Amino acid sequence: MKMGEVELSCLAYAKMYLHASQFPRSSVNGLLLSSSPAGAAVCITDCVPLLHSHLSLAPITQLALTQVDVWCSQTQQRIVGYYQANACVSDSSPTPCALKIAEKIFEQCNNAVLLMIDGEKMFPGCRVPPIVMYERKDARWALKDKHTIMLRQWEETCSIVNQLFSSGDQTLLVDFDSHLDDITKDWTNQKLNAKIMELISPANGNV
Amino acid sequence: MRKINIESTLYSQLIIDDENKLVIKFQPKTNVFLYCISEMRDKLRKWREENYRNSEQIVDVGEELINEHASKLGDDIWIIYEQVMIAALDCSRDDLAWSCLQELKRQFPDSHRVKRLAGMRLEALERYEDANKLYDSILQDDPTNTAARKRKISILRAQGKSSEAIRELNEYLEQFVGDQEAWHELSELYINEHDYAKAAFCLEELMMTNPHNHLYCEQYAEVKYTQGGLENLELARKYFAQALKLNNRNMRALFGLYMSASHIAASPKVSAKVKKDNVKYAAWATSQISRAYQLQHLPAGVMLTSLALSISSKTPYTTAASAGVAVVIEIHGRRQT
Repeated sequence: MKMGEVELSCLAYAKMYLHASQFPRSSVNGLLLSSSPAGAAVCITDCVPLLHSHLSLAPITQLALTQVDVWCSQTQQRIVGYYQANACVSDSSPTPCALKIAEKIFEQCNNAVLLMIDGEKMFPGCRVPPIVMYERKDARWALKDKHTIMLRQWEETCSIVNQLFSSGDQTLLVDFDSHLDDITKDWTNQKLNAKIMELISPANGNV
Repeated sequence: MRKINIESTLYSQLIIDDENKLVIKFQPKTNVFLYCISEMRDKLRKWREENYRNSEQIVDVGEELINEHASKLGDDIWIIYEQVMIAALDCSRDDLAWSCLQELKRQFPDSHRVKRLAGMRLEALERYEDANKLYDSILQDDPTNTAARKRKISILRAQGKSSEAIRELNEYLEQFVGDQEAWHELSELYINEHDYAKAAFCLEELMMTNPHNHLYCEQYAEVKYTQGGLENLELARKYFAQALKLNNRNMRALFGLYMSASHIAASPKVSAKVKKDNVKYAAWATSQISRAYQLQHLPAGVMLTSLALSISSKTPYTTAASAGVAVVIEIHGRRQT
């Protein structure tokens, strides 16, 4: 991969999409992770869904960021970005809260990305990934060139997401907020990850 | 026969008869369905009374009730039509919403309540101008109609016009000071606009009228924490503690108590006594948190290890609102695969 390129894995995309779909009436956010070593390109291999309420209040955000950070260091992952889907579907521009958190991540990771989910493109049959990515350039967050964003096997990714919905597995997704409501729920989503990896594997005819 | 339901399926029940023999009795189909209908009705009533927004479930249950068993619902049917219609709009089921609306229009031709539902349907179709016209006509007839006013404010919110929504909502609350739902909506709007002081004011109103509601206490504490500064952190800690007193299983309040106490203890501005007290509070919170996780037998547990109150070092994501002070929270343990 070349300098400045960002690759978004099927696993990360699927979970972000599921998160936004699970809470269609609220803004949701989460962190983008990478298990690849730091380099010129960014490989987003996973994501952690965080909140679906009061995104701009500090305590739970701070708590979640720290917990994810520690978990990442234990699982050889790094936080490389932040995603958000706004409640107001017609406006997918980053909110001040999104910019603040992305800024914090950028302090630790100099090719961090900010990803906004475009709600208007989240309908079945849409041929374009419903995402808008920003990168840090000249002390501000600027739109990233679409050609540097890689979503390998886009068709398969879409089909995997559809399969998750038809099997009802989309309800397995747990975000940090839900974990606080019921601590027996696993915010690292091990079960859902396993299901998605199963669907991705070559044995299933995908990828 | 003495009927003791040991197990029942849709069509049969296991019953112990007068001779103490176990018998399978087949229920006539109508009885079984009547039993099911009343269950469905009860569910809908519960969701209605407790204001749940589980729209997919309401549509599932309600659609079947309406289509298959309308005749057996009596007068309840009208309120069920209303409930199902709103849920249908929430699930983009315009077909179902339309048919419910038609039934209601036929039964209550001049009703403002039904007109409001027609307006909500227009909102769902994003025909905001038409919806506004409808609400305005209701308000012309009846200027005190709060439902129509609140729908107009919801339209502003849906269109992303937050400052106008806030202005209208403030005007509304000057007249209808006791409307809890409106105060809460206003607090949410202020939080989204990062106007924490005004959000706190709204939550104070809610706490005054609902002193036993732990959620309002906890939200108020979160807002105070976000505002930052020593005084606000102390208030935050107090209200997190109050929320815990009202509901000792509120995990947000527990974590919030831990974080606010830790930040206060780490502040260079506090006296030795205050520092000592807050270290104690934080330690108590730690023990309660680890106890809560251990009680659930969560594999490897999520343990708060030794609190390192470090004044000089900053960890990436835990800078306190009060400038330059950091708390390290180490959470060990891996989740189950």
